Amino acid sequence: MFRSIKQWCIGALTAVVVLGAFDVSAQPNGEALFKAKCNTCHQPHADGTGPKLFGVRQKWADGGAKEGSIYTWVANWKAAAAADPYAASIVGVKPGEMQMFPDLAGKVDEINAIFEYIDAQPDPAEAAAGTDGAMAEGAATEEEEGGLGWIWIIIGLMFVVIIMAVGGVRRQLNSAGKDAADEKSYMEEFKSWAWKNRKYVGLGGLVVVISLFVMLFLAGYSIGVVENYQPSQPIAFPHDIHTGTNGIDCKYCHNSVTKSKSAGLPTVNVCMNCHKQIKGRTPAQAEKITAIYKAAGWNGDAYTGKTSPIIWNKVHVLPDHVYFNHSQHVVVGGLDCKQCHGDMTKQNETARVVPVQDLNKIEGNIPLTKATLTMGWCIECHGEKEISEGALDTKGSGYYNEIHKRLLNNDKKLYGKYLEDGKVTVKELGGWECAKCHY
Amino acid sequence: MKVKFKAMMQISVVALLAAACSADPDSPGLEYMPDMYRSPAVEPYVDYGEVRGKIHDDMKMTMSALTPPKHTIPYWGTDSATVSMMLPYHRLPAAAFALTHGMFGFDFSTNPDGNYEYNLAAADMNPIKLTSAEQSDAVFAEGKALYQANCNHCHGEKGDGQGPMVTAGSYVGVPVYKNLTIAEGQMFYSIYYGKGMMGSHASMLNKKEIWTLVHYVRRFQDANYGKFDPKTGLPVVAAPPVVPPAEGESAMPPAANAPK
Repeated sequence: MFRSIKQWCIGALTAVVVLGAFDVSAQPNGEALFKAKCNTCHQPHADGTGPKLFGVRQKWADGGAKEGSIYTWVANWKAAAAADPYAASIVGVKPGEMQMFPDLAGKVDEINAIFEYIDAQPDPAEAAAGTDGAMAEGAATEEEEGGLGWIWIIIGLMFVVIIMAVGGVRRQLNSAGKDAADEKSYMEEFKSWAWKNRKYVGLGGLVVVISLFVMLFLAGYSIGVVENYQPSQPIAFPHDIHTGTNGIDCKYCHNSVTKSKSAGLPTVNVCMNCHKQIKGRTPAQAEKITAIYKAAGWNGDAYTGKTSPIIWNKVHVLPDHVYFNHSQHVVVGGLDCKQCHGDMTKQNETARVVPVQDLNKIEGNIPLTKATLTMGWCIECHGEKEISEGALDTKGSGYYNEIHKRLLNNDKKLYGKYLEDGKVTVKELGGWECAKCHY
Repeated sequence: MKVKFKAMMQISVVALLAAACSADPDSPGLEYMPDMYRSPAVEPYVDYGEVRGKIHDDMKMTMSALTPPKHTIPYWGTDSATVSMMLPYHRLPAAAFALTHGMFGFDFSTNPDGNYEYNLAAADMNPIKLTSAEQSDAVFAEGKALYQANCNHCHGEKGDGQGPMVTAGSYVGVPVYKNLTIAEGQMFYSIYYGKGMMGSHASMLNKKEIWTLVHYVRRFQDANYGKFDPKTGLPVVAAPPVVPPAEGESAMPPAANAPK
């Protein structure tokens, strides 16, 4: 009895395994086929180069398509359009032409497997809708926290008013008991008090005057210093998502950085290289991306040609009397963007001028003391920074190799003193000459 | 009089405090010499609607970051090979590219077949010839830097369509280079004008850079492409490994995330 049950079990198990294996081999893999053949242009729930495919069989049936013409279409859309008026009516839904798949001709099972895989995909828009409420709540608490600052200012102002009012009442009470002629003004009272304590008042006065001068001097230093300057932008662009999560190189969007003195703001066509497909996962993101579509003249299906520029606010503003060249620093100097602009993979707000303290934390940076984007900051770095690996060994950009060869051949005596410490800094190549940057 | 003075002092202190709190966040702050800070000559990314305090409404947002006039030929020195390589691209975009890729301001192909020019491009050969191991290495080093900056985030470090954008789940449908069956001239056409979801890169890369990238991409298809035998000094791959497809045949490669 036991034996027969055991045998039966083994038999059943074998049958399941064999049938399962048979199933896998016989059933076309819809996911693999979809991803290999369709996914470059089609998505289940979003229009791309081609229209979305969720429930497309039902759509065709509802539209009055001939039985089976959808399978013809997948393999050869021209043949389907010739045979079926419904198929002919959807030619030109998208501006591009669908390509032919002769290898799928007549393979109804495989095409059905693709459609079944597509119809089994959940709609990401519905999934995102569930998280919207939570996000809105988060925003509300943030706003309340932001409002607290104003409460403190109002409380402070109320204190000032109360102190002034009390002082006024005291003065009224003081003067009430005295004759009008006897009354001393604040100034006279102060004068007699100051004369009595003239040593301390003199010393105190000196301290006040000196500190005022120092403050004036410091205030003068802060003019033209733009550390932490973070102007508002028409689109709250999150650098961390683009360069952090998605790993896009800075030079993809700021693509004139290796060729021009300006690093360049990406034109909208660069945004559209990705955002034609990426429409945003949350309503907040979608709204920001809509601003790109408006600028690019993209109506969701096609470009309309009606473009409007996005007006960004410039963050790193250098005065006109300074010449700065990005390509010189990036190509010849071999600097990484983050050495001057900070780690943008963590910058989730709009761009700002990163303070020098934060820049000093970046690996490989020379610790500097002067504020970012000031002349002191520039020449401090030029004084210490060795020119890119180049000159003395032959690696690096090699930009300075030729001049070094000539200098070493011509006048070793003169040039030797620069090489004594075994390194060549930017300063030694004229990086501190006024006319290098001011002309 | 004295009371008035005192009141004025109090009000001005309060006003100063208020002014300090509500400074314009879009203002970069005080400048020593605004006339030396603002250039009246044209500079990129400067709005010339206001120059030295004067407002010119007709100049607002008009003078910076302009595209060069149509049919402009850039100056690339006197080396004829370089000049001919850098001449404007002779293949035209299909008319539909205006709608699908926003290619306005271009001359368009008048042929009704949307793939006419693309098919013609199969005949274009890479003008950057790989002649020796050193020269080839230099081209591939340059190609690697360009690829890292411009292609890597979608197409992936190994050219398998598994770039960080795809693995992060932001983007779908990136092809595997290995499965591409297109000629190098068509690779150029696709990078220049875009293809399918990919946008045009004509505004970002010049022709030399695109041809360098074409070399780099072909090594993903054949690991020996562009390599030279150290003994003989001859290229390891003699014949072009990729044969252009016959007209009308499927030219679109399978997507990256296809299970193998």
